[in-house]
Amino acid sequence: MDSLNLVLLLGASLLFVGLALGSLGARLGVPSLLVFLVVGMVAGVDGAGLRFNDFETGYLVSNLALAVILLDGGLRTRLSTFRVGLKPALGLATLGVALTAALVGGFATWLMGLDWRLGLLLGGIIGSTDAAAVFNVIQGSGLRLNERVASTLEIESGLNDPMAIFITVLLVGVITVGGDPLGWATLVTLLKQFGIGAVLGAASGVLLALLLVRLRSNEGMHALLLCTAGTTVFALTNSLGGSGFLAVYVVGLVVGNRGGGVGDNVFRSMDSLAWLAQSGMFLLLGLLVTPSSLGDHALDGLLIAAFLIFVARPLAVWLCLLPFAFRWREKLFVAWTGLRGAVPIVLAMFPLLAGINETRLLFDVTFVVVLASLLFQGTSLGAVSRWLRVALPATPEPLQVVPLSGSDNRYLMQFRIEPGARALGKPLSTVGGEFAQPLLVIRGEQRLTVSEDTAVAEGDRITWLGPLREKDHLADLCQTVTPSIKRFYGDFTVRGDVPVADLALAYGVSVEPPLPDGLTVAQLFARRIGGLPVAGDILYLGGLRLRVRSVTAGQVTQVGIRLPR
Amino acid sequence: MRVRELLTRDRTEHHLEGVSKKRLLDHAANLVSRTCGGIPAQEVFDALVARERLGSTGIGEGIAIPHCRLAACDAPVGLLISLDQPIDFESIDGNPVDLVFVLLVPEQNPEQHLKTLSHLAALFNQSAFRDRLRDSRDGDDLFQNAVSSEEELQLAS
Repeated sequence: MDSLNLVLLLGASLLFVGLALGSLGARLGVPSLLVFLVVGMVAGVDGAGLRFNDFETGYLVSNLALAVILLDGGLRTRLSTFRVGLKPALGLATLGVALTAALVGGFATWLMGLDWRLGLLLGGIIGSTDAAAVFNVIQGSGLRLNERVASTLEIESGLNDPMAIFITVLLVGVITVGGDPLGWATLVTLLKQFGIGAVLGAASGVLLALLLVRLRSNEGMHALLLCTAGTTVFALTNSLGGSGFLAVYVVGLVVGNRGGGVGDNVFRSMDSLAWLAQSGMFLLLGLLVTPSSLGDHALDGLLIAAFLIFVARPLAVWLCLLPFAFRWREKLFVAWTGLRGAVPIVLAMFPLLAGINETRLLFDVTFVVVLASLLFQGTSLGAVSRWLRVALPATPEPLQVVPLSGSDNRYLMQFRIEPGARALGKPLSTVGGEFAQPLLVIRGEQRLTVSEDTAVAEGDRITWLGPLREKDHLADLCQTVTPSIKRFYGDFTVRGDVPVADLALAYGVSVEPPLPDGLTVAQLFARRIGGLPVAGDILYLGGLRLRVRSVTAGQVTQVGIRLPR
Repeated sequence: MRVRELLTRDRTEHHLEGVSKKRLLDHAANLVSRTCGGIPAQEVFDALVARERLGSTGIGEGIAIPHCRLAACDAPVGLLISLDQPIDFESIDGNPVDLVFVLLVPEQNPEQHLKTLSHLAALFNQSAFRDRLRDSRDGDDLFQNAVSSEEELQLAS
């Protein structure tokens, strides 16, 4: 066989096997990234014997893949989640990364007897988290995290890569060229990285959104336009001294939230591009590594991973979240979801390409740390979220989400009515009317509009037109109310604007310490939580357990009461 | 406390007709007043309405459990009413209600009464129990089905 076809055969079949096993793994709660990595390693030097040690190619592919993944992450991040998650995430993404890097750096320096700069470089390399992995696993296990935790983790992972990259680039510079890492020049570089990245990202995002609406291309084309534009911005920002990773994330964020014709269809084709990027990158990284030589640093790597997971990350999270209203369970969960993914491995190639001695050591240790993190944290996320009770009962996803032009950012959302759903038996014209406009029922072969006003039946597919933020409310209407959901929220429900005193009187519970007159249940939540309450928050009033059922515009509107058994 | 300790035959009504949420609570208040002498109907009605104002006691799937504490009451009292036609009760699931269990408790020992209420909510969450009450032929049958259910035995064990 000629070499061209051989390369294609090997590459394509490897990708195929990786993707097939990856989707299988996701169903079993194993992060797909881990599967890709392992498939790559098995095919590599020590397994099937495929020799690949072209770090330049690996580096190029990884950068491209990272840009696509971050773009995709930005597109999917709803700006509405910023209300709850931005401030804590900013802390974690900047101070948190620096703290983690310093702690891990110090530990590695001591453990392996390295030069302190090299130790710190290692800390920076493994400083950032990978939420793509987190959300794959969480969604795969049928769980929905509470909004405070979910939005914090999501935004943190989008924003913390630039910080880790900055630390790495800085230290590579210090080691190769020399100089003081804590001078004015450093601060200027930091500001340039973040400033240029954010500004260029936002500006090109706005332009791109305008352009895409005008173009109205088909969905497959749309995703490609997004990717190529994103990569262009990425490269441009990098060459101007800004952070391309931040810029491309911001581009996604802006385009995704300005409409820009980004509907479910585009997400789906973006999804497959993101998968291609992730699988390609991880397979390649798996091929690059030489598992047998990992053995030399395996123990050190595992110890560093353990230190990162059990000491450095929890400590950094705890410190960064101090000013915010997180319960200890939530902090612990945020600490545990410090999953390491692609970025550290890519960063580990920086010093390699810069020609620093002992870089093989850095690469190997990083690889062990990422592997350990994916293996231990990644596979246990579902169980840990249940144990720490930071998850809400999952709601069904819409079958379809389509943006409608000229509808003032409203979307067509289609849901299937599950058995025993709340919408059953109601006339179509009234179902979910307070959230979105009901339009159409598809029942078997029939298509019934509001003018026929049929009663909703099981298995119906209903289409609403409404803003995306009402998605969960609509999903609620269409979902089977299982006993576990009932138990989760409690036996009875009260409104949030009810005075606490009235509630206490109705159930004969005493309130200690006494509360100001006329304080409502919603205000009590705001006081006790100390920030913005989210669905799932609980507080105790005498023997009653109150749990936030729904929040509208930051205000608790419905509260479930669980009585003592 | 079990249903059989709360309910009597004369506080069980089968297929009550033509009521609204408000009329139903009024009807229940009068029934209490008639069957446990001494409790003024107006007081019961006001207390039930006051509880509904905090949020509907419709717990979903056609069930409502209106409840309140009463100074004039010296032991917990239950009423079971099934409706001829389901009525709007502003329930949490938005479904109309056709089975109503009213619970009135004394003001003393609130913890114990919360447990009774919680027991009732758990019992009515069992679909087999609801189905049997809905299939009842008349008042006697409804009463028997309510006080002698296997579901309650299972919940207790």
